[in-house]
Amino acid sequence: MKIRSRYIRYGLMTIILAQVIYLALGLGARSFEAYCPFGGMESLWGLFTAGEFSCALGPLNLSLLISLIVLVALSKKSFCGWACPIGFLGELLGRLGGKIWKKRPRISAKMNFRLKLIRYAVLVVALYFTYKTGELILRGYDPFYIIFSGFGHGSAGVISVIVTVAIAIGAFIIPMMFCRYLCPLGAVFDPFSRIGLIKVTRDESSCTSCGNCDDACPHDIPVMTLEKIRHRDCTNCLECVDACPERDTLQVRVEL
Amino acid sequence: MKLPRYIFPILIIAALFGGYFLRTAFTQPSTNINYSNETGATATFIVDGLKCKGTAAFFTTMYDSVPGIVGIQTFATEHKAVITYDPDKITKDSIKAIMETPVLFQDGTREQVFKCVSIK
Repeated sequence: MKIRSRYIRYGLMTIILAQVIYLALGLGARSFEAYCPFGGMESLWGLFTAGEFSCALGPLNLSLLISLIVLVALSKKSFCGWACPIGFLGELLGRLGGKIWKKRPRISAKMNFRLKLIRYAVLVVALYFTYKTGELILRGYDPFYIIFSGFGHGSAGVISVIVTVAIAIGAFIIPMMFCRYLCPLGAVFDPFSRIGLIKVTRDESSCTSCGNCDDACPHDIPVMTLEKIRHRDCTNCLECVDACPERDTLQVRVEL
Repeated sequence: MKLPRYIFPILIIAALFGGYFLRTAFTQPSTNINYSNETGATATFIVDGLKCKGTAAFFTTMYDSVPGIVGIQTFATEHKAVITYDPDKITKDSIKAIMETPVLFQDGTREQVFKCVSIK
């Protein structure tokens, strides 16, 4: 019996989520923040200018960022689809939303492209204020910090609650809303994801153009019209491969 | 070349472990203060309460005018302070006692901010 890729993904992400919760409860040697790869980006300015890490950031943030950039260059945004705890929670909410609300609004390709620009703005704002102050002053708006710190030190009170609720509602309505439009780490990964060597490919000769792959893609990538999925947002989640009724039409391959 | 779908969990686990072990390549501290150019003995303190650059900066101010302290490096994510000191002027226990001294806050209350968990 073929096990769906989703179950393998969910198994791995559950283990990683449990590990983050373990750290968030203060049971590990380091804070859960020390494992945030975006912290590596935020610490770069302090390292270059003063040779010191900013705020609660340290070597692990930077080393994880580097290893994940290598991962993304190899296998596109597989970290986002197979490991990120925020992506996992967003995906679960999205699935719940899909079960309750069968006909969710479909974002047009043009609007999708425009909305994705927001994450670059989030990236610029987050880096600007972190570099300017040396503090993680935007952590109160970061769902990873808000959720796992339990609205801890540095949260922005009511605003943090509003941000978290808005992101949860957004995930409910638009699949992977935070990942697609707001995640600054996704924006950092974008250029590396484009060169990702391991990708899904489509065999045109056996494709029946049923459209199941398009419907299954949580990022609305038009898989059915592409030969190689080079799209920067592809997380290699393999939902399209699972949904394809034809054997070996969609495959995971090493392709330039 | 066709690959099995198990390649992704394998790569991710390799990347996470790789990143974890790569951390030793970066030795930069959260704060680094040298009070003098003298050399001395070093001791590593694991300090509960040392959790960010702000607390690390406050931690170092506790030793600003302490004779025998040569320099302090703090590593906030590891809750670690590496203190260089002159063993003829100050001992590890005295250094520990200073960090554990209750601090006077603006509202008039005194509270212990740092607690030494271990010394190496």
